[in-house]
Amino acid sequence: MKAWLYGTWAVFEKDVRLELRSRYAINTLLVFVLAAALVVAFALGEVPLTPQVQGALLWIVVLFSASLGLGRSFVMEEEGGTVLLLRLHVPGSSVYTGKLLFNFLLMVVVNTVAFGALWLLLNLTVHWPGLLLATLALGALGLAGTTTLLAALIARSANRGAMLPVLLFPLLFPLLLSVVHATHSALLPDEGWNEAANSLVTLVSFAGALITASVLLFEYVWGE
Amino acid sequence: MSTLVNVRRYTWIRNAVLAWMSVVLFGAFLMDIPRINMLEHTARNLYFHVPMWFTMMAAVFVSAYHAVQLLRTGDLVRDVRSLQAARVGFLFGLLGLATGILWSRFTWYQASGQWWSFQEPRQALAAVQLLIYGAYFVLRTSLDDPDRRARIAAVYNVFAAVTVPFLLYVVPRQMASLHPGAEGNPAFSDITDPKMRLIFYPAVIGFIGLFWVLYTQRVRTALLKWRLDPDGDPET
Repeated sequence: MKAWLYGTWAVFEKDVRLELRSRYAINTLLVFVLAAALVVAFALGEVPLTPQVQGALLWIVVLFSASLGLGRSFVMEEEGGTVLLLRLHVPGSSVYTGKLLFNFLLMVVVNTVAFGALWLLLNLTVHWPGLLLATLALGALGLAGTTTLLAALIARSANRGAMLPVLLFPLLFPLLLSVVHATHSALLPDEGWNEAANSLVTLVSFAGALITASVLLFEYVWGE
Repeated sequence: MSTLVNVRRYTWIRNAVLAWMSVVLFGAFLMDIPRINMLEHTARNLYFHVPMWFTMMAAVFVSAYHAVQLLRTGDLVRDVRSLQAARVGFLFGLLGLATGILWSRFTWYQASGQWWSFQEPRQALAAVQLLIYGAYFVLRTSLDDPDRRARIAAVYNVFAAVTVPFLLYVVPRQMASLHPGAEGNPAFSDITDPKMRLIFYPAVIGFIGLFWVLYTQRVRTALLKWRLDPDGDPET
């Protein structure tokens, strides 16, 4: 167990260190998020938006940036030729969990920046900050949980570029509906935790189910 | 390679399904049904629309089951079965969606004249199930090596099957919907005339039987092609 935790942490630390050196994923994601937020702001102009539309726009930006940035995690290993090395040193579940942690961290940053940008550009008013934070965190967890296994899948397929959005979007609809609904509740003064409870429970169970399935399925993708 | 289906048994079941479905079709169009305001004769769609979705759910289950078996055993026959169940299930899903769109257009949306509305989220979520299979087929075309393709596709198949309960059962029940069985609407059992069940239940059995015939036929065709050309691709 201790070795497993150590291996997981090592994979996570390696990814963070590599990311800090090259800043490839984080820069791509941040530029994309900011560009998308600006596109939204320019396209809408002066149109007044209801909280529901604001929540929907936020998550559309987040979904597209997730499908762009999170696909790298295993392609990177495949291209760098480090797959065998990882396989020798740590068990598959450690690799998966380490990558999941890293993707989760990346998604938290993306969600925060996307929310900050839209908050500034579209004049969002948040009435329930705690609920909003919980929604952003659970959304990041669900996204990371779904994407990590798919990233391992596409690292094995031929056209890696276009593959992740195709595979990812159909799986994300339950997540999308729940996060949009919860965000909507966080932006309205007369709603709040009670109205969002159902959505939050759905988010937790969605992330739980998909991460459990990923852990079980990962060995079949990883260990040839 | 596993043995092919017993031909005599297959022929018998196929003929039985054909005869059964003929009777169901006659009953569905000719048997008297209660005329409910607004629904009128469109209520007969119950015999087609609902069994098609049940059939698709059965196909999703069969496909995911064979995907799990593939991962456990590595037997490529399981991959052929999983793929063919997904293809036939996709067909039934398309038909279920089409009958659903037509039905809602001429009942719920008669006044507004729209073909699609988010007043009925279940329809959109069911369309997502078709998207999942679309992604599954695309994923398969991007992999060349049969063993690797079988395993990767099976992983995606099982992973996607995990989201199906959320799509079809959890999320639709949290949203306002016009669909029977959703919040505020009685489900099938409370409102449907007992006379209609005489056709409805046989129709469910008939459509699942039809799925079985189409599915096994496609599996055997694929296996025969494979037997003729063992080095070829086991699935085209």
